[in-house]
Amino acid sequence: MALINVAAREIHCKIVYYGPGMCGKTTNLQWIHGQVPQATKGDLLSIATETERTLFFDFLPLDLGKVRGFQTRFHLYTVPGQVLYERTRVAVLNGVDGVVFVADSQKSKLEENVNSLKELARNIQKQGKKFQDFPLVLQYNKRDLPNALPVPLMDKYLNPFKWPRFEACAASGPGVFDTLKGISKIVIGKL
Amino acid sequence: MALDPQLTSLIVPPDETTRIEDVLNRLVEETGGNHALLLDKSGQVIACHGDANRQDTTALGALIAGTFASSREVAKLLREKDFKMLFQQGVRENLFIALIADQWILTIIFNKETHIGLVKVLIKKASEELSAILQRVRQSRRVRDDVLGASFRTSMEDTIDLLFRD
Repeated sequence: MALINVAAREIHCKIVYYGPGMCGKTTNLQWIHGQVPQATKGDLLSIATETERTLFFDFLPLDLGKVRGFQTRFHLYTVPGQVLYERTRVAVLNGVDGVVFVADSQKSKLEENVNSLKELARNIQKQGKKFQDFPLVLQYNKRDLPNALPVPLMDKYLNPFKWPRFEACAASGPGVFDTLKGISKIVIGKL
Repeated sequence: MALDPQLTSLIVPPDETTRIEDVLNRLVEETGGNHALLLDKSGQVIACHGDANRQDTTALGALIAGTFASSREVAKLLREKDFKMLFQQGVRENLFIALIADQWILTIIFNKETHIGLVKVLIKKASEELSAILQRVRQSRRVRDDVLGASFRTSMEDTIDLLFRD
């Protein structure tokens, strides 16, 4: 649930990057952190293991400045992707306004993508929300890899509700901002 | 407007923000604590009072809400509904965290000069006052366009296009 503080004239929205392990959620945040103007971003905070896998979450606050007199802030989070950490993902999803589901385009990862999306649906429904109406965009990541599945096939398995979807290579940047723009506009539209 | 109340925003009107700040102010004064924060369960800071030099409240908010959400999952594994309060003890500073009506998280930071028992009693009193405020905020149902103006969305989209690019 977004927060509008009328006295401080502030709006806060929470966006969570969700998806299976190693699909590129943290990489998305790192790219955004590296590219947005200094005045817009806060520190990128990571709670990771020694091997740099996300243990709890990454957190990147973005301050979009004043729009029509309201200071608008987006808080971007990732979740740990490994199957084992479902409880942690539930914790990070608390109070979420919009989700980016990052899917790994590699052929061998299709089943993990499908399972992770099913788990997300279950966790959103547990919050009392309808999954198909929930603000969500898909990102098909790692499109540059030779074993990437064709987009129509990924649509067939991952996009039954025709959510907006974006092709990306988070490591080198293409598609990262299109995805962020996509979810930001949906979240703002739902305020 | 979205029909699902879960998807609409929580709009805190100015008079309620003043009351929230009064509650935090009193909590810090009466406990002799250093800093009090009121967070939304999503980790966003609604109000804070105390040490003016604290620059890290945004990160603190995200981490404390994360701690609380994580403890709730631990509670479920123990077949508890949730833990209403959490205490974290440091060498110099301590944290006491309380959940308010499943929506807000009240945190007070204090040092060894303050007795934990006093914090427990006063945070309970503050929680009850904040719970009443939250109930009013939930019921006030202000319409977004009255607060933000009808053209907010278009202006916001322009800003997003301007900032989020390679």
